[in-house]
Amino acid sequence: MRTVNQRISPYLYLIPSLILLVAFTYYPILSSVYISLHEWNLFTPEPKFVGFENYTILFGDPLFWRVARNTLVYVAVTIPITMAMALIMAILLNERLGWLRNAYRVAAFYPTMIPMAAAAMLWVWLLNPGIGLINHYLASFGVPRIEWLYNMDWALPAIMMTAIWKNFGYFMLIYLAGLQNLPGELYEAASLEGAGFLHKVRLITLPLLAPTTVFVVVVGIITSFNVFDLVHLMTQGGPGNRTNVLVYYIYQHAFRFADYGMGSALTVVFVVMILAVILVLMRLLERRTHYEV
Amino acid sequence: MRSRPATFSAALHRLGLNRLLLHMILLIVSTITAAPYFWALSTSLKLRRDVFTPVPQWIPPNPTLQNYVDLFYMAPFGLFLVNTILVVSGILVIQLITAPLAAYVFARLRFAGSGFLFGLFLVQMMMPIHAVVVPNYLTINAMGLLDTRLAMMLPFWASGYAVFLLRQAFRQVPRDFEDAALIDGCSGLRFLWHVLLPLAKPTVIAFSLISVVTHWNDFLWPLIVTDSPAVRTLTIGLAMFVQQESGADWPVLMAGTIFVTLPLLLLFLVYQRKFIESFMYAGLKG
Amino acid sequence: MLKDRRLRYLGRSLLVVVAAVGLLVSQASAQGERLVRLTFYYPVGVAGPLARVVDGMVQEFNAEHPFIEVVPVYSGDYDPTMMKVQTAVRGGNPPDIAVVEISEFPTLLAMGAIIPLDDYIAQHPGYIDAFFPAFLDNSQFEGQVWGIPFQRSTPVLYWNKAAFAEVGLDPESPPTTWTELADYAQRLTTRTGTDVTRWGVTISGGWNDWLFEGFVRQSGGQLIDFHGQEVKFNSPEAVEALEFWVELMQGLKVGPPHSTWASTPPDFVAGRTAMLYHSTGIMTFLKSSADFPFGAAFMPANVTYGAAVGGGNFFIFKDIPQENQDAAWTFIHWITSPEKASYWSAASGYVAVRADAYELAEMQELVTEHPEYLVARDQLAFGHGKMMAPVYQRVREILKSALDDAQAGLVSPRVALDRAQEEMERTLRSWIQTR
Repeated sequence: MRTVNQRISPYLYLIPSLILLVAFTYYPILSSVYISLHEWNLFTPEPKFVGFENYTILFGDPLFWRVARNTLVYVAVTIPITMAMALIMAILLNERLGWLRNAYRVAAFYPTMIPMAAAAMLWVWLLNPGIGLINHYLASFGVPRIEWLYNMDWALPAIMMTAIWKNFGYFMLIYLAGLQNLPGELYEAASLEGAGFLHKVRLITLPLLAPTTVFVVVVGIITSFNVFDLVHLMTQGGPGNRTNVLVYYIYQHAFRFADYGMGSALTVVFVVMILAVILVLMRLLERRTHYEV
Repeated sequence: MRSRPATFSAALHRLGLNRLLLHMILLIVSTITAAPYFWALSTSLKLRRDVFTPVPQWIPPNPTLQNYVDLFYMAPFGLFLVNTILVVSGILVIQLITAPLAAYVFARLRFAGSGFLFGLFLVQMMMPIHAVVVPNYLTINAMGLLDTRLAMMLPFWASGYAVFLLRQAFRQVPRDFEDAALIDGCSGLRFLWHVLLPLAKPTVIAFSLISVVTHWNDFLWPLIVTDSPAVRTLTIGLAMFVQQESGADWPVLMAGTIFVTLPLLLLFLVYQRKFIESFMYAGLKG
Repeated sequence: MLKDRRLRYLGRSLLVVVAAVGLLVSQASAQGERLVRLTFYYPVGVAGPLARVVDGMVQEFNAEHPFIEVVPVYSGDYDPTMMKVQTAVRGGNPPDIAVVEISEFPTLLAMGAIIPLDDYIAQHPGYIDAFFPAFLDNSQFEGQVWGIPFQRSTPVLYWNKAAFAEVGLDPESPPTTWTELADYAQRLTTRTGTDVTRWGVTISGGWNDWLFEGFVRQSGGQLIDFHGQEVKFNSPEAVEALEFWVELMQGLKVGPPHSTWASTPPDFVAGRTAMLYHSTGIMTFLKSSADFPFGAAFMPANVTYGAAVGGGNFFIFKDIPQENQDAAWTFIHWITSPEKASYWSAASGYVAVRADAYELAEMQELVTEHPEYLVARDQLAFGHGKMMAPVYQRVREILKSALDDAQAGLVSPRVALDRAQEEMERTLRSWIQTR
């Protein structure tokens, strides 16, 4: 009994979103693939087809592999630490704490509200080797001075610290929301059977929080793969490319070196990488949980 | 493990420490997370010479607002603030038009290809702008929109995340409502506007807050598509300010950092509950 | 949307100008003159003090030249400015004038973006000869001059006189040779246990490629021979310079292997380092921050003194109307006059680009009061053009990466530079082959 109008209207309502979606998400992916097969830089102002040459150069460049490794290290280290801190804080905050609870929550969550760029500024100042706050307090614990952003081994960890500080409050909040939705009866039943606190965390809390964890992991992976602001403002990829990550590398090629062909090849590699990691993770986690969209 | 008492508090109680220890742990963590901001605030109120003391001074010995005056003399931060507000609200307003339309379609109407089309929106949630800055920059360039506020807004006008959240909310509205509304002659867009959206108010607020925070903090995209101070936003202003040839002027830099972060933080402190509920709510929906 | 508003604004200011010089205009248009509007990209990130000085000069110029209106566009630091120029030229919408970082000259050439200025220069006998020769190195190609020096600097050595006195060195005598530098740095470094509380000397990171070029010059070498189209990253002189750095940082451990460009000036003020290699551009910052006496000196010599100059040059763009190019030249000639050059130098802290500027009363006054400003000028006698090549941004990254690795002691200076040389030859193969 549906009129023509009814049949057409769904598409009509979708048109504005779909046009934008296609123009700024799907067309770009396709056009990256296309441009990546061309030489297109300052000296070749019109795109020239070169097949897979950009990819050959890319994969033959040791720097690319270093950048890929930096990115993976960054993702693999920040996410578990951020999640563990978020979860522990959430479990602690879920206890009865009176009015102070709110203060704790605000203290942990406010970094979510400030721009990454501002977080970068704060931490560059804190991490200053000579007059920075962190080295000062570390010294009072007898820790030898660390040169942080000046040092090849410490620069990436320093950026990761900043990211963890900035992000864990948000994940904590998501976990808190998850915790508040858990059925109280299960805990009571477990208590009756004499289960200890940690036991209950392991047997009830963690399994029931699994869907929340999946959400947190996916969001975490997307945000950490896209790290750019911190690198751009804290180290510019240095020293010695020890903090250069994929998005920053794309930025360098496409905008500083004005090489759109190579920038597009990198974009393609990057998109494939994100999708692959997310797919694999979803598969792994789905096996254990019933994740409902 | 089994011998442990029933709750964490009780466990601590048995250790004779009860909730005090819990508070102490949380207090230490809170102090550590809050310290960076207070340190920046303190630095921003210091004379340049007072920054270089061997022992950090939390209370500025000669408090001054001069750094904030210098900040405004050195860069048009007022203009940056206006631009930020324009861009953020420009994004939100259009999102609140496009997203409910799409969400309504996916939540309420049956049509060929709905699964596939919804999939397109879901994948966009995973494919943030950072991944495709290069082709999007070329598109904006081809449209002749480089260095405009519009360029900073355009790619965000369709939000898969907003569509996803609103669809969930709309689905929770019982069918009966729609039937009743139909009888009253209220259908389609009017039903969406007068019935569904008001019912989904918590979701709308939650998404709006998240959108505002996200785009207030945007960096890479505005950095790439703009290059004149007239259109640039706060975060970019702060970044340009850092990369001066003359080296970091910490008190002024920290004044800049405080100024860039303060508007949202004040809003957050005043509407704390709303913010926290919204972020919790929107997160859970995922 | 914005462009419209800007146009309307321009339109309105145009009306005002027209009204103000009404008579003049009507008389002149009878002779065929009309207003030429010039877009001028200027590399400063924010409308800070520097932009104000530029604004003031541009307004003065516009007032003196009723038929030319220069519109400055503040386009960010050097990198963003170059990015903006690239985009504009590729989009077929070049600016009329831009100040661009000097090492980008070959890139502009390769893009076919700029015009040679010899015909204009010939109109003003003696004009080009007034510039310091070292500043013109980055302007010339195949016998033609393509760029005019504007905001220029060189690196110098800053030293903390209080720290010198403290360890029994003469506070008024900075090191003049590499040997002295290493010696002084050892005496100035203070440690508690293995923890360094004060470094002897900091060679700032971030632009360490620029400082390194100076050290190579001090050894009598060169990194890129632009006119011979030859890359010499692993020349004996370059290896010697890098070996000296590594000796300071890893052997003697008297300097931090890495640092960032923006944070070392505060380090110097905080007494974290007794000597600092940095640009002349931080002089004003140091003066207003340090509560100890300090000095600025030539970078110490190896076989000779030497430095690579830095900064930005004026360029006029191709594919704009002839009358715009003519007007652009009028502006550049005006703003690089001795009077303006000395005013600009005093207001900005940059080195005045021509020798005769230092003879003016204004400059004389300044340098009598602050003789440090003369150090950069006098070092120009040993100054050379900055290395340059097409896709310079890439070149810089390659060199910086090699330096950073060697400074960390991860690879030997020779290996690091050999690798950089190889990578350079690959990156620039088409350019090198055209030799």
